Amino acid sequence: MKIKIGLAAAAVVFAAGCSSMGVEPWERDILAREDMQMTTDEAEAVTDEHIYFSKEASSGGRGFGGGGCGCN
Amino acid sequence: MSKKDNRSISAALAMATCSLLGSGIPAPVDAQEEPEWDFNTSLLYYGEDGDRVKDYSVKAIARRMFVDDRVLSLSMTVDSLTGATPNGAIRQDTAQTFTRPSGNAAYDVQSGVLPLDDTFLDTRVALTANWQQPVGETSLVNVGASASKEYDYTHFGVNAKIARDFNKRNTTLAAGIALSIDSLDPVGGAPAPLTPMLDVGDTSNRIGNQDKDVLDVVLGVTQVVNRNLVVQANYSYSKSDGYLTDPYKVLSIVDGTTGDTLLRTPTPGVEGPSHQVLFESRPGDRTKHSVYTQAKYYMNGKVLDASYRYMTDDWEIDSHTVDLRYRWPVGEDRYIEPHLRLYTQSEAEFYRLSLVDSDPLPVFASADYRLGNFDAVTAGAKYGWKTSNDNDMSVRLEWYRQSGSVPAAQVVGNQATRDNYPDLNAVILQFSYRF
Repeated sequence: MKIKIGLAAAAVVFAAGCSSMGVEPWERDILAREDMQMTTDEAEAVTDEHIYFSKEASSGGRGFGGGGCGCN
Repeated sequence: MSKKDNRSISAALAMATCSLLGSGIPAPVDAQEEPEWDFNTSLLYYGEDGDRVKDYSVKAIARRMFVDDRVLSLSMTVDSLTGATPNGAIRQDTAQTFTRPSGNAAYDVQSGVLPLDDTFLDTRVALTANWQQPVGETSLVNVGASASKEYDYTHFGVNAKIARDFNKRNTTLAAGIALSIDSLDPVGGAPAPLTPMLDVGDTSNRIGNQDKDVLDVVLGVTQVVNRNLVVQANYSYSKSDGYLTDPYKVLSIVDGTTGDTLLRTPTPGVEGPSHQVLFESRPGDRTKHSVYTQAKYYMNGKVLDASYRYMTDDWEIDSHTVDLRYRWPVGEDRYIEPHLRLYTQSEAEFYRLSLVDSDPLPVFASADYRLGNFDAVTAGAKYGWKTSNDNDMSVRLEWYRQSGSVPAAQVVGNQATRDNYPDLNAVILQFSYRF
């Protein structure tokens, strides 16, 4: 319960802080560009995740932790 | 405010925006628009220097858009792996013989050479399916499933993610969960941890198939800062349970003074290991925490993509990853994108170069270089262009280099004169075509 209240409080503080940032709906021309998406090339992102999962001890972060592979 | 009011305000805003942009009023979207497929395909070559791992990979991601922003994504990847990988044993000034993982044959390693198991040969097929759809005005739900099969490994997974927009869609909170149920069927059967590599034909220390479950949870926030900058922060939790040991990796048993691997005599008339090595042993669970931050910044046509990840786990591995990409337009419909990735990790608490025969046997030990202390750099670039029929094509070429070191306290006797952690160099070449 305490955790839930803490999370709710954090969310309220965060939302209040974020509400002062941002753009109006008609100012999204640049943000809508394909090269401004958080993942611009899904095939490349998945490939990299797979390579580094196989060769290093870390994985994930951007999304789920990769895996599903006997390579590590 | 009723939905109808909302819609009329949205329509008025859209008209005002279009007027400002001078593009006029758009034609109304046909609600019965035909669904469309688009494809993202790629061909990958990953090659390590020497006789080490090579991977040829073909990937296709198909996406079908339905009305009301519903999206079905299907993907298929086929990997063909060949080459040799370090088996974990250390170099010796004499030739070494090892039993192959199958237990059916032996292989020799020249003196002074890092022991590589050259039977690494596999084909992997991976499939994923995802369904995404809006829920209400501001939320997006995504559910998916994945499966993959390779000779000695099978994976099944399910995942779900929900994202909700706030503050005029400037803030997005997201939460996701993924569950993976994997089974290992190692060639020759998984060996019991910390048991010796045996003669050819002796399978008395094999314990058969093993399982592994992984739970991943991701919580994230994406925030539009201004017209040119969007940032993201994620926290990820990952818990693995089950058989996390690499069934093909071993450790050398060495003399406490010379650091040389102890000799072993195979049963007369039978091939077998020339030196004493034990199969590795890792804990049966692992908990990872990571924090990932990313920023996309638009600068007069150029886009900087910068991210940083910190990961820590209960195997005492800490890692830092910095990834920088800079997309630079060349003319109307071409770009070049340099890429630099810097990575560093500390070794797992049970990482050992070798095991000293007079010391008590630890419960967990691995000489897997991927659990060692190393730095890695990836550097390269991608070149992308629009084809004559307006599709996207790109090629990227990158170099990956891993340089590690063994903690000085673990280096015994003659080991100090040998390269215990040779660099790994690899080339990544990928062609992508989107249509």
